[in-house]
Amino acid sequence: MQSLRRPQAFKRFASLTQDPLLTLALVLVVLFVAITIVFPLLSMIGEGFSPKGLPLFQRYLSDPVHLSIVTNTLVMGALVGLFGTAVGFLFAFVQVRLNVPFKRFMHIVALIPVISPPFAVATAAIVLFGRSGSISRGIFGVRYDIYGLDGLTLVMSLSFFTIAYLNLSGMMRALDPALDEAATNLGANKWRIFRTVTLPMLLPGIASSFLLLFVEAVADLGNPLVLGGNYEVLSTRIYVTVIGLYDTTGAAVLSLILLVPSLTVFIVQRYWISRTSVVSVTGKPSGTPQMINHPLVRWPLFGLTIAICLLILLIYGTIIHGAFIRVPGVRYDFTLEHFDFVLNGIGAQAIQDTTLLSILATPLAGLIGMVIAYLVVRKTFAGRNLLDFSTMLGIAVPGTVIGIGYVLSFNHPTTLTLPVLGEVTLLPQLTGGRGLLGGALAIIVVFIIRSVPAALRSGTAALSQIDPAIEEASISLGADNARTFRRITLPLIRPAFLAGLIYAFARSMTTISAVVFLTTPQTKIMTQQILNEVEHGRYGNAFAYCVILIVIVMVAISIMYVTVGSTTGAERRLEGGL
Amino acid sequence: MSQNNQEVRLKLENITKEFPDRGGSGTVKAVDDISLDICAGEFLTLLGPSGCGKTTTLRLIAGFENPTTGRILLDNQDVTPQPPNKRDMALVFQNYALFPHMSVFDNIAYGLQTQRVKRQDIQHRVNEALLMMGLQGLGDRRPNQLSGGQQQRVALARSLVVEPRILLFDEPLSNLDAKLRVQMRGEIHRLQRRLRITSVYVTHDQIEAMALSDRIVVMNAGKIEQIGTPSDIYHRPATRFVADFIGRANFVGVTVLSESAAGVEVEIFKRRVTVASSVRRDGAPLVAMLRSESLTLRHDPALPQVLVEQAMFLGSEVEYIVNTGSQQLVVVEQDPRGVHVVAEGETIGLDFVPEAVHLLPA
Repeated sequence: MQSLRRPQAFKRFASLTQDPLLTLALVLVVLFVAITIVFPLLSMIGEGFSPKGLPLFQRYLSDPVHLSIVTNTLVMGALVGLFGTAVGFLFAFVQVRLNVPFKRFMHIVALIPVISPPFAVATAAIVLFGRSGSISRGIFGVRYDIYGLDGLTLVMSLSFFTIAYLNLSGMMRALDPALDEAATNLGANKWRIFRTVTLPMLLPGIASSFLLLFVEAVADLGNPLVLGGNYEVLSTRIYVTVIGLYDTTGAAVLSLILLVPSLTVFIVQRYWISRTSVVSVTGKPSGTPQMINHPLVRWPLFGLTIAICLLILLIYGTIIHGAFIRVPGVRYDFTLEHFDFVLNGIGAQAIQDTTLLSILATPLAGLIGMVIAYLVVRKTFAGRNLLDFSTMLGIAVPGTVIGIGYVLSFNHPTTLTLPVLGEVTLLPQLTGGRGLLGGALAIIVVFIIRSVPAALRSGTAALSQIDPAIEEASISLGADNARTFRRITLPLIRPAFLAGLIYAFARSMTTISAVVFLTTPQTKIMTQQILNEVEHGRYGNAFAYCVILIVIVMVAISIMYVTVGSTTGAERRLEGGL
Repeated sequence: MSQNNQEVRLKLENITKEFPDRGGSGTVKAVDDISLDICAGEFLTLLGPSGCGKTTTLRLIAGFENPTTGRILLDNQDVTPQPPNKRDMALVFQNYALFPHMSVFDNIAYGLQTQRVKRQDIQHRVNEALLMMGLQGLGDRRPNQLSGGQQQRVALARSLVVEPRILLFDEPLSNLDAKLRVQMRGEIHRLQRRLRITSVYVTHDQIEAMALSDRIVVMNAGKIEQIGTPSDIYHRPATRFVADFIGRANFVGVTVLSESAAGVEVEIFKRRVTVASSVRRDGAPLVAMLRSESLTLRHDPALPQVLVEQAMFLGSEVEYIVNTGSQQLVVVEQDPRGVHVVAEGETIGLDFVPEAVHLLPA
């Protein structure tokens, strides 16, 4: 059989190469993923297992200080996963199953944390609940120490619960109401239905939310940096090792240790949970779910959700308010000096650079995501799953780890020694001040690889909803693959494309962990500047940055809605008389 | 076959298609060494149960699958290596596959735009197609604003307007409700006879196949069982599978009495019948096929007596299941108003039309 299958595989490959454009697209994305994601990771692994790195492994894994850092990281990940999923579940349940007012309001509030810059929530939490917090000290008169695990859990749960909320509310809507009706018909009451039908059906979704939040939490750098205090985690340790000790080998070893739980959880989430799921989120809902009207269920849950909403609003209100007062939490007189500092000082260049780089990265990330989704869903070729997996590594791998990989790989030109030609430069230096375009190219590339996975996932989901016969019909009518992709596929997955663009822009503007090692004097990044201000206790300046950043993201989202989300080309041409 | 003297438009030469099986270790032959000639202007149907390889054969012709071995020739030119968009064929899909983001007009114009036809010509030809399919005034609609029958007509118009050398149909009527299906069947028949466009049609519905086709190819397990006109296939099936798959067939064991140039003389239901048979016997046993409508029930003590086990009134006919003592038979009586409906449990004489007896290898 082996001899028979090989020419088959070859023929399939040959049929793919029949279309030169498709082949070109495939080669380009494979090269891109190999150079920008796989190669840096491999360099980092190589550094970690080098003669210099191996003894460090032993040291770190036997030394109690480092072991406690590992434990801290895992405990924090688990707690954030737990609380974040609980809050997400609460919001989803109230949204889908409870008959209460203000649902639209709760939905919008739940989405706010998506576009929050790092440090913003943590800093606001310090101002509100810290040692001299305006609520903890000002109202209750206690000197509460928010730094540490408790503060981190609170802030990160509030920052990341949106993922769980969107995930679970989608699943709850997809649950077939007929199941509830069948259970009611068999004599079960609502509590019994919730316990024996709803909850078991949602279990894979709950598990997957927990794991996603766990990955986000252990990868996060911004919050532990500001709010960690003595509670040290791997990401902050990596940061200090690079920025304070200039020890890239040590950082690579720590990154490898951080990579183990991150990748394990990612793989479990992706390949195990998704397979055990019994709810098909793709199906149309076959009716409206039965609402729960019992007052003892309804009002306590409603009250709790509203309370969390108000807390979120309070935090974001503090950010905006804090940007306009002299010293947040201390002196409340109105001032524009923070904005003056940001807009007319060194902040101006950071704003320009970050926005420009994000604008360049966004369409590329969206397009690359859609092309990879198209290739993975619609075409058969060897290494299809590997391409998908490698692309997903862009987000599954913690940002600090990616950053270390880039420093290790691209801080010098990549060369290859060939027998005849001698040393050949494959890639020039990309990172650092002397890198290509003052290190800007490396930052754009990092923006892209951190955003492509989300575009890929939404593109994959959208494509699998579209009957392949629609694309075959186009080909049968004489259009080639490129024309079919442009005229049929892309317009049909436009909502996914838009989602990918919005995510890419918001992510690029707010990312810190992956680019913190890559900023240079020539290329300044806003989040880096915010970190600077927070570290020097100038919260007003930090808040002003955050407000500007949020405004830029909102404006960009509106522009993308108008240009991408409007009528399709077909409609426009029809209005113009063919 | 009347098409013998006509030019061959499409030729399949020893086509085999293997897919990797579920386990991934071996292969499954979806199409097993098929050879077929399709003449210009002919309407040919691939008929068979699900999984017989008919859709795979159609997709091989369209170019969406590549044959493992064999060649496909279009007007004597080998098109096997050509991608589907270069093949000058148009496929009408089972679920229409209309472009949901385009208007009806743009759907139909799509193929012409791909061919870079001039704007005015596109306008003209699309309007003509709309008129021909009875879709005038619907050009601005979106596909989801149309009924199932209208969507099917748009799909047909979209394929016809590019004037392909071959039109391919993949069970185009199976998503329509029963009444609309009959109506669309009539429309496709009328249209094809008028335009005489070479068509390959895939269906599992034998009535549809017989109504539309010049010739039918009956497929089973990746192989061709029989190729013939609808009447050939119905009255003179080549194999027991074909006889069983098309219409309602009874198989009755026969005793061969003699063989001569005139045919085979057999005894069936205690009567001697000479059947002009092409079956080469070579001493092997034979079985007679009798269609349900060739059997009749009559009160006549001279006939072999059968027990009526079940009688079902179907409107235009009555279907009986009778027992001869050795086997069950299905008997259909037409026009129940003209005959007496026999009650279940009654014993009655069984008669048959001798000309309808068809012999098959047992």
